Amino acid sequence: MITLVKQETFKLLHKKSTYAVSATLLIIMTVFGVLTRNYPKYWGDPKGLFVTMFTGINWIVLFMIAACSSIIAMEFQYGTIKELLYRKYYRGQILVSKWITMLLYSIYFYVLAFVWSMLLKVVLFNNKFQLSDTYQPGHSVINSMWLGIVGSFLTVWLVLSLVLLLANIFKSTAAAISIGIIGYFALSIISNIMFVLMQKWDWLKWNPLNMMNLPSQLVSSSFHKMTLLSTPEMVVGSLVYTAIFMAISYVIFKRRSV
Amino acid sequence: MSDTILNVEHLNKNFGKKQVLKDVSFSVQTGHIVGLVGPNGAGKSTIMKAVLGLFNYASGTITIDGEPVSPTSHKAMDKVGALIEYPGIYPFLTGYQHLELFSKDSTSKDQIMDIVDKMKMDSYINRKAKTYSLGMKQKLGIALALVDRPKLVILDEPMNGLDPQANKDLRTIILDLAKQGTTLLISSHILSELEKLIDDLVVIDKGQIVYTKSMAELESGSKKLLVLKTSDDAKAKEILAQNNYQLDNGDKFAIVENDQTKMADVIKLLSDNGIDIDDVQHVHSDLETSLLNLLKNDKVKES
Repeated sequence: MITLVKQETFKLLHKKSTYAVSATLLIIMTVFGVLTRNYPKYWGDPKGLFVTMFTGINWIVLFMIAACSSIIAMEFQYGTIKELLYRKYYRGQILVSKWITMLLYSIYFYVLAFVWSMLLKVVLFNNKFQLSDTYQPGHSVINSMWLGIVGSFLTVWLVLSLVLLLANIFKSTAAAISIGIIGYFALSIISNIMFVLMQKWDWLKWNPLNMMNLPSQLVSSSFHKMTLLSTPEMVVGSLVYTAIFMAISYVIFKRRSV
Repeated sequence: MSDTILNVEHLNKNFGKKQVLKDVSFSVQTGHIVGLVGPNGAGKSTIMKAVLGLFNYASGTITIDGEPVSPTSHKAMDKVGALIEYPGIYPFLTGYQHLELFSKDSTSKDQIMDIVDKMKMDSYINRKAKTYSLGMKQKLGIALALVDRPKLVILDEPMNGLDPQANKDLRTIILDLAKQGTTLLISSHILSELEKLIDDLVVIDKGQIVYTKSMAELESGSKKLLVLKTSDDAKAKEILAQNNYQLDNGDKFAIVENDQTKMADVIKLLSDNGIDIDDVQHVHSDLETSLLNLLKNDKVKES
């Protein structure tokens, strides 16, 4: 298994896009930081920006959706799936090694964005606010940031498990990426309707899109009145949905004829 | 199980309602080069994929070196190298990186460079594969199949896209490998190329094995002809017939050769009778002819 993860990492590290994406993330974060510092009137509160890792937290989702769909779909696209599968390894191992690689990649992104946020904070906003300042009632800036990262990580993986599944079904990056991105951003569009419908039909609160509100609920304690779920329920819900999507992926991948 | 490396027994496979493999059984002897031939869509690639554990099959058994092979049982694959259909290539990696990626940890850099050298890929091995031509990709695919020095090599249409020199190089490599005890299962449409390599032949048509024999048997079973061109063919035929030579029924004037037929006797006989001989040719029926005859007389019915 370690060999397989090494091989997946080898491929990832030899793609130019891997480096381009990391650089892009840092550049975007820096640009938002500089704009907020120079034009605070238009760009709002630097604390809010810092908590979202200078918008990095949103970009990571996009980049991970692209990476997850490509790590599965590229093998079908390039015809390398045969070479991967006819070796001594089991099919399940091949798929799990890809998941592990993506898990490591997502952790790398969060660490990178976190470290860069700290740097930007020190360089651009050293005197503007302290990490211990209150951001939300009961939560300091750094605390809110951590909760945001944890919540985002769980919901991102809920989306990614769906993207990995779709890439597996459609064998195409385009389909998986579009549905993943639409799914992730659909929340903000339909959440109001969803909350209304949930008032009427209580069981709707268990739908996967509602789980995506986890990051907001972690920071703002009153949010559970909207989602109708306690925070632990949402954490478990996210994990269960992730596990279900992963399990379907696993079964499909094992049964596929190539 | 030392002399049979690959054993396929009663293999059946369906794609939906269509049965693509019907009770396929054959075995491959260690160290032999076996040709798998048949018309397009006969099931060659399907057999190879099943042997590589890429397919679920309805019934039957496949064993490599005594170990069973199926999509859930891949241990035997450690001894196998393969190129199926077209080479799978990552455009963002160089040729060398492909070999590095897919070779075993136990395969040394020298071994990798050895196959690069034999395939004459040195000049572009460190270039990204997206710049490769079809033939270069094909060579890389073959190199990937051979780099770990597997006991069993499965090559599907390996001559695809290769230039004549590369074709000749590949032939040398394959024959060398077989001499060292590697077993090869090769499918190809280029029968004239295959003929120069293989020890045994497995012919498949419409999902069924129609013929398995050694090349030696195939050759001995085919007619050898002595084609003649003379100043007076009609008279020559008459004289030869009177002297118990068997004449061929084909378009050309030819004697069917047997062990007793000596060209010198024929020439002497005709010249004694005042017939000038303009040309004499030995004609063996080649693999292509034998195969086409075989498939023409094939009793397999489409179901």
